[in-house]
Amino acid sequence: MTKNFNNRALAVSQKIYGWLLRAYPPAHRAAYGPAMAQLFRDQGRDAWNESKGWSLFKLWLRVLPDLVSTSIRERLAALNERKTMNDKLASLTHDRTTPTAIFIRVFLAVFLITLIVATAITFILPESYASTARVKVESDAASVAAQPSYDPYFIQTEFEIIQSQLVLNSVIDKLKLNVAWGKKYFAGEPLTTGRTLEILKQRLQLAPVRNTKLIAITVYSDDKNEAAQIANAIAESYRDYRVSSRAKLLANGIDVLQQQYQAQAAQIQTAQSDLESLRQQLKIAGDAAASQSPQEQPYWDKKRNLSQLIMLHELLNSKIEAVKMDAQLPKNAAVQIVDRAEPGRAPVKPNKTLNIFLGAVAGGFLGLVAGAICALAAAKFGPREGKQSLPA
Amino acid sequence: MAKPKTDPESLLPLTPAVFHVLLALAGGERHGYAIMQEVAEHTDGQIKMGPGTLYGTVKRLLEAQLIEESDERPDPHLDDDRRRYYRLTGVGEKVVRAEARRYAEIVALARGKKLIGKPA
Repeated sequence: MTKNFNNRALAVSQKIYGWLLRAYPPAHRAAYGPAMAQLFRDQGRDAWNESKGWSLFKLWLRVLPDLVSTSIRERLAALNERKTMNDKLASLTHDRTTPTAIFIRVFLAVFLITLIVATAITFILPESYASTARVKVESDAASVAAQPSYDPYFIQTEFEIIQSQLVLNSVIDKLKLNVAWGKKYFAGEPLTTGRTLEILKQRLQLAPVRNTKLIAITVYSDDKNEAAQIANAIAESYRDYRVSSRAKLLANGIDVLQQQYQAQAAQIQTAQSDLESLRQQLKIAGDAAASQSPQEQPYWDKKRNLSQLIMLHELLNSKIEAVKMDAQLPKNAAVQIVDRAEPGRAPVKPNKTLNIFLGAVAGGFLGLVAGAICALAAAKFGPREGKQSLPA
Repeated sequence: MAKPKTDPESLLPLTPAVFHVLLALAGGERHGYAIMQEVAEHTDGQIKMGPGTLYGTVKRLLEAQLIEESDERPDPHLDDDRRRYYRLTGVGEKVVRAEARRYAEIVALARGKKLIGKPA
């Protein structure tokens, strides 16, 4: 499979280069075209052996400017040669060397070369698939025990949490990405978790779904199944993180409330025994109604305080029950995975239509510039007879 | 083929591409790919000539009769017989020597001004 792709990528490159050789004048092409094609073939083979597609891409980046500049130079040289070889007579009947004709030819050549190259690069570039999982998130404050409140930074905070080590490290561990990506991209050398995390973050995109509480978790990969698997793993890891942090929060809250509850119970007990002592001291009957006697006033004040304390104690108990109820709510209440990621049907990158369109626009612009320069040069500089020079 | 009436000194200074191609051929006849590889090796990969530059240079050097095409093959069994080999002409050798001397003089001058150290 790899060998076939190797052959295909090299064969396509060679075919394109062979076609691009048409940019040179026919005489130059006839004399050196096969040798140039052979040299490109050798360079392409070396590049592929070095680091496959990326080196081949770099070779194209080196070869294309070389091709454009040297083809223009050879065209201009051929033009000067024709003038010295009495081609002027022929050009009177069919003048293909006027600045306008040169402009049109150079424009077309540059435009077509750029367009073809943009198309070729678009097809050579590795394809990337995207998969999106969507999760519904609720703020932890929106519980039975607490009053709901608006937090303007809630979504941004959750974005940062999703991209944090707290969530992504467990995804890396779960899918064994250190080993898998080491094998895939680094010749079998396992990656460090930090490096894998860096790559994972580059492939992760988060976006809020407008006017909802949903977050779209999108992952890009050259393998469509891997993209879906990672997106789902991130959604699950985030949900688990939220569930566990919420459970910890509630457990801590219940502990604090229970400590308060116990402290209040002790207070009540002390107050009850104090009240009983006072009652016996003042000789007040247990079922006596409240009186306005100044002597008994401390007793009745203490009794009122005790009633308030008991009421607070009962309220605290209700609060504890409410928090416990919160803790028993369904585990996915804070984060709910509403859409699981599915493997993409078609690659999202490169955007072939856009790339080819941009290639056409760039080709048009470069063609105009190159055409204008060549036409001006042809109009300005005549043949340089008898002057010996070596190539630049 | 008529001998060129060119004085080697009149062709100096050479462009880096021309000098490197002549320098590569000073080591014996080579085909285009071997020239390109040798230039890359001599320059630590800083100069990687594309096919257009290499064969444009070769063409002009052939026209200036500083190099010529060779019909001989080092070993036909080991090589692709479609490859074209080139070698220096007598004038080409004089030109590359003259350019190397010129570089040596420049290096000596720079050394005299203590811009570079002595070779180890």
